[in-house]
Amino acid sequence: MEDSLIGPILLFPVALAVLCLLLGRASRAGLAVAAGGWLYVALLAVQLIPFVLGVGGRLPLLPGLALEKLGACFLLLTAVVVACALSHAHAFFSSERQSASSPSDRQVLLFYVFALVFLLSMSAVYICDNLGLLWVSIEATTLTSAGLVYFRRDKHAIEATWKYLIICSVGLAFALLGTIFLFSASQHGLADGGSLNISDLIQQAPGLEPTLMKLGFIFCLAGYGTKAGVFPLHSWLPDAHSEAPAPASAMLSGSLLNCALFALWRLLQIASGVPGSHFCQEMTLWAGIVTVVAASLFLVRQHGLKRLWAYSSIENVGLMLVALGLGSAPLFLLQAVNHSVAKVSLFLLSGNIIQLAGTKQLSELRGLWSAAPGWAALFALSALAVTGVPPFGSFISEWLILVSSFESRHWLAAVLLLLGLSLAFIAVCLHAGKVLTGSPRSEIEPARTCSRSVVPAALVLVSVVLGLVIGPDFLRAAL
Amino acid sequence: MSYPELFAIASAVMAILMIGSGRLRINLLFYAFQTVFASAVTASCGLVSGDHQLYSIGLAILLVKAIGVSAFIAWITKRIGVTSDPGTLIPVPLSMHASIVFLVVAHLLASQLPHLKGQDHSLGGATAAISLLLTGTLFMLARKVAVSQIIGFLTMENGIYLFALTQTRGMPMMVELGILLDVLVVVMIAGLIIFRIKRSFEHIDVTLLTELKEY
Repeated sequence: MEDSLIGPILLFPVALAVLCLLLGRASRAGLAVAAGGWLYVALLAVQLIPFVLGVGGRLPLLPGLALEKLGACFLLLTAVVVACALSHAHAFFSSERQSASSPSDRQVLLFYVFALVFLLSMSAVYICDNLGLLWVSIEATTLTSAGLVYFRRDKHAIEATWKYLIICSVGLAFALLGTIFLFSASQHGLADGGSLNISDLIQQAPGLEPTLMKLGFIFCLAGYGTKAGVFPLHSWLPDAHSEAPAPASAMLSGSLLNCALFALWRLLQIASGVPGSHFCQEMTLWAGIVTVVAASLFLVRQHGLKRLWAYSSIENVGLMLVALGLGSAPLFLLQAVNHSVAKVSLFLLSGNIIQLAGTKQLSELRGLWSAAPGWAALFALSALAVTGVPPFGSFISEWLILVSSFESRHWLAAVLLLLGLSLAFIAVCLHAGKVLTGSPRSEIEPARTCSRSVVPAALVLVSVVLGLVIGPDFLRAAL
Repeated sequence: MSYPELFAIASAVMAILMIGSGRLRINLLFYAFQTVFASAVTASCGLVSGDHQLYSIGLAILLVKAIGVSAFIAWITKRIGVTSDPGTLIPVPLSMHASIVFLVVAHLLASQLPHLKGQDHSLGGATAAISLLLTGTLFMLARKVAVSQIIGFLTMENGIYLFALTQTRGMPMMVELGILLDVLVVVMIAGLIIFRIKRSFEHIDVTLLTELKEY
């Protein structure tokens, strides 16, 4: 039976982390982690793809743990993102160590270990079938990724880590309160003493006490929303993404944000069965719209390269919230996949560019085209992919989100969304254009670009393929 | 008024006394008292309902949160050599008055919540829980020093715990332990970062951590 194998596979990152510690040297561990990451992806794919394409809807693993199709897709996406980031990390850290602020061997080794434990905690989110365990897993992702943000150990990194830890912990405290409200709602409504089990709650949703259910959902939206970077609660996100080393930023943006949004999806699954709780969907939708508009306004005046992409991630979180608010799991997944692919490529490339230029200030980054044409081309393509330009996959998902918000007669929301997306496109193009053109501020010696271009180039290719392959079918179905 | 309610309200009062002092040692002492009362609520709930699991959870809270965490934070403050917190815009006496008002507000809110059948200590418990939550939030907002932020967070967490205890019948043990462990790890990591903040910035005033800004 296949269900007996997924559990052990999920523990594979832990084995890899132990192997890293045993190897003891960052250069050797880096290669092992890169190979191990892709082996993990392959093992997961062999197990999960038949399940996702098959007829069975739900795969119970252990008490309180079960896998659904959407969760399986996200599990695979998370593994791919982490494998990409880690296989780039080896080249990234070897060139980082030639620069002035070189991290020590131990720092890099610890980075790999934290990244692998982080992968485990994120995987746990997708197999939870219990609201309490879901909360514990999300909190665990905060704790393990704090180690990644803390990597450089300088003033900025300490400040970013402190804010990340405190803001997310307080936010998640509210999500815990929301979870307790939901438990209480199930005890008021159900005869058999209540439950935190998600699949039970979905089945018995009509029996939940509506007031407590709504209160619980509001607290959870605020709590998990903090973790996802929903607009007024996003302040930790640009700091953490900007101060973490590039592979960690890629993992935070490409996989961590999806975890929090997936938790909200599970809650919406429960809420959609409660009579008169249409307002939960509406609230999620509007939280998404507000986030998209606010993030695109922030995008206009940015001064740091990685902060720019951090705000672009917030914008995409807004889009995914809109997809959740529209009640469409496929749209949520599609947008998440496209965003992760393009954003991981962008963060990894930005790391390279920052290494090359020695600064992350947008005002000082100029003339990438003449300094490193290969990276410049990939950078331009990734930036276009992230804003949703036609040949790329994210165009399809953003288009479909817009169409369905018009179809569901959310006129104002759709118009605001359109304005936000256009503004974000213009802002990103302006900033990226300035980085690409002009002449470099200082003489930059041509870098050995090959090993650090492989992963971004592959991701750009995937983004195009996603757009070309799934595009026509989806469009035909939508039109 | 039943024993669980009495202990819960006592816990909320300890939080109000805690916010009334600007000295970290006194804050910490009242945090410990507040947590001791929270563990007393747990034990007395166990006595009322006859659920013996609650005794062991109460004991775990007493040992881990009331004694262990308090001792850890006391050790940090001693090592760093910070004794008091000047507070932000909201002065210390005013924040205590505000938290007394919060207790009343909490009572009004708690009486709006639907009551669980067969849970007679629900109203007092909910009042204390919401009051602790609000007081903890205010404590985090009104104080400058990083150590105070952790104490405020722990107070919020106590409020959430009391809410779970008095508004539901028995959270699953696994979940309860997971939460306790997570809180413990947050405090440990935050404590270690405080040492780093002290070493790099030569202060632990979190309102001055503003190097990462937009403009």
